[in-house]
Amino acid sequence: MRFVRARRMRLSLRSTSARLALAVTASFLLAFVLLGIGVHYAVSAMLTQDARELVRVDAAGLVEVYRDEGRAALLGELRERIATDEDPDAVYALTATDGRVVAGDYRDLPTHRQGARWIEFTEHGADGDLRVVAQLQRLSDGTTLLTGTRTRSQDRFLALMLRTALAALLVAATLGALIGWLTSRWVSRRLRHLDDTAVRVGSGELGLRARLDGSDDAFDRLARRFNGMLDRIEELLGGVRHATDHIAHDLRTPLTRLRNRLEELRRRQDADEAGTQLDAAIGETDQLLHSFGALLRLARIEAQPPVHDEPVLDLSELVRDAVELYTPIAAERGIALRANLAGSGETRLRGDADQLFQMLVNLLDNAVKYAPAASEVALSLQRERQALVVRVDDRGPGIPEADRERAFDRFQRMETHRGSPGTGLGLSLVRAIVQRHGGQIGLGDNVPGLRVTLVLPTEPSAR
Amino acid sequence: MRVLLVEDDPHTAGFIAKGLREDGHAVDHAGNGKDGLFLATTERYDSIVLDRMLPGLDGLVVLQTLRGAGNRTPVLLLTALGEVDHRVEGLRAGADDYLVKPFAYAELSARLDSILRRGQAGGSEPTRLRVADLELDLLSREARRGDKRIELQPREFRLLEYLMRQAERVVTRTMLLEAVWDYHFDPQTNVIDVHISRLRQKIDQGHARPLLHTVRGAGYRLGA
Repeated sequence: MRFVRARRMRLSLRSTSARLALAVTASFLLAFVLLGIGVHYAVSAMLTQDARELVRVDAAGLVEVYRDEGRAALLGELRERIATDEDPDAVYALTATDGRVVAGDYRDLPTHRQGARWIEFTEHGADGDLRVVAQLQRLSDGTTLLTGTRTRSQDRFLALMLRTALAALLVAATLGALIGWLTSRWVSRRLRHLDDTAVRVGSGELGLRARLDGSDDAFDRLARRFNGMLDRIEELLGGVRHATDHIAHDLRTPLTRLRNRLEELRRRQDADEAGTQLDAAIGETDQLLHSFGALLRLARIEAQPPVHDEPVLDLSELVRDAVELYTPIAAERGIALRANLAGSGETRLRGDADQLFQMLVNLLDNAVKYAPAASEVALSLQRERQALVVRVDDRGPGIPEADRERAFDRFQRMETHRGSPGTGLGLSLVRAIVQRHGGQIGLGDNVPGLRVTLVLPTEPSAR
Repeated sequence: MRVLLVEDDPHTAGFIAKGLREDGHAVDHAGNGKDGLFLATTERYDSIVLDRMLPGLDGLVVLQTLRGAGNRTPVLLLTALGEVDHRVEGLRAGADDYLVKPFAYAELSARLDSILRRGQAGGSEPTRLRVADLELDLLSREARRGDKRIELQPREFRLLEYLMRQAERVVTRTMLLEAVWDYHFDPQTNVIDVHISRLRQKIDQGHARPLLHTVRGAGYRLGA
């Protein structure tokens, strides 16, 4: 039904903008994380480069001592440096020819690839794990000198940077989510009005327009185009209605003339053969005019807006009146008309009394017309939650399932009924009236016979 | 009686004018709204038959202008548009009755009679209606024919009351439908005829002189 569809539309609208907000936030965060990782690598590479530069200079100094003053001087220099602990982060080691460490901070050289010049390793010390960057140098006597530095301050800096970045990420995520939420709310609010307008216009309130705020942003422009489109539709429909009125006028006038001429002739004739023929001709003209009138009425009802502005009325009163109207004609054929109405006060709904009465009359007329003599036609009116359910059951031939949908088409009359009087517009009119009242109509099997079921909402929803 | 006919279609105008003259009325005809308004304001008429769609000056405008000037001549509005909103619009503009084209002349004649009578009536409402020996008490809501009481359903009572108020005049099916049933709808079959024949059984059965007559091609008439 209309109501359900509208709600689903709004829900999906909201989730669309929520998805949009989520996507924006996620891509924002992804960009932040990628940038953070890049910066982290760049900074840490730069810091390592600095440490290596430091080590290289230090090592060059030591190699110079070795070259100028020999191995003993180097050993002395190293021992002194280790003992004095001038630079707490500097590390040294010197091996003998067999690879044993003879002086230095380590008992053995850390494991490393054969021939590597630069190594990085982790030192497990009293202050926790420390990263060390070191250079290995083969001296001319076949021993190896390790010169390195602990990257304590660099690591601290990196850790601080990481912490700061994480905090920033947290703030950014919160802000992103908030902005995303606000954006989605704003978008869905802007769209909801347009959506509501579209739903209501779709259900027939053609005069409605989307609100403009004069901001000339994308939404405002969309609303303006939308309104322009509605203006055009209304103009076209108005044109159709105008044309219908004129066709009604222009075609009915000659028909009326024809009828008047026949009537005038009839007045001059007595009840002889020609008089009977004229009566028949007048009858045919009346039938034609009647069909034409019904067609126009149908077109007008279909073009009318839904019944939101109609007064509230009691449908059971209408049903009682319709049953009373048809009881004599049914009795003439020995058909009993039985009404089963829900308690008073339960059967109120918003609607057009004349149209609803016409709807009941058309249904009863069909039922009485097709019911076999001495059978029963039952009309029931019950309330089921937010709707009134009208059922008209007869014991006639019914309508085969395959033909039920077609039964509502204009001038569609069942083959078996072609001979009987009627315009072939009765059920089309019933359906148009039901739809204008936001309801539904269904044809079913009364085994045997036809069961017509109408469901009319008590308060047709605007949205 | 003097009737002003404002109708642009010469055929329809001729048809109506001919019928009215045959009924013994004097008829003036105007072919457009301007002439119609001029005649209506300068001459005195007992009633006006006014087409709604007119070249130049629209029928509704003519009607509103007349009513605005304080002219209370009974007006029967003719139109090709049979919609309820048009009907309401016409009555609101000051029409006394409203007739949808196409109509049988009898329908127009019956309605014109009815609005003329409404115009002349006034004064106290009767509490008792009488046609020959048929009597309807509007207070006790009792019907009698001679000394025999007739049992009537509420709707039958309204039907009889309307027929008796229009006694000796032709009443069409549409007029009955509008006056006795409170809905504007299109009756599918001869529902009204069946109601009338039921009523006829109740009031005429067992009496030598029938009171409720069928007028061929027009409707019904209650009278001696």
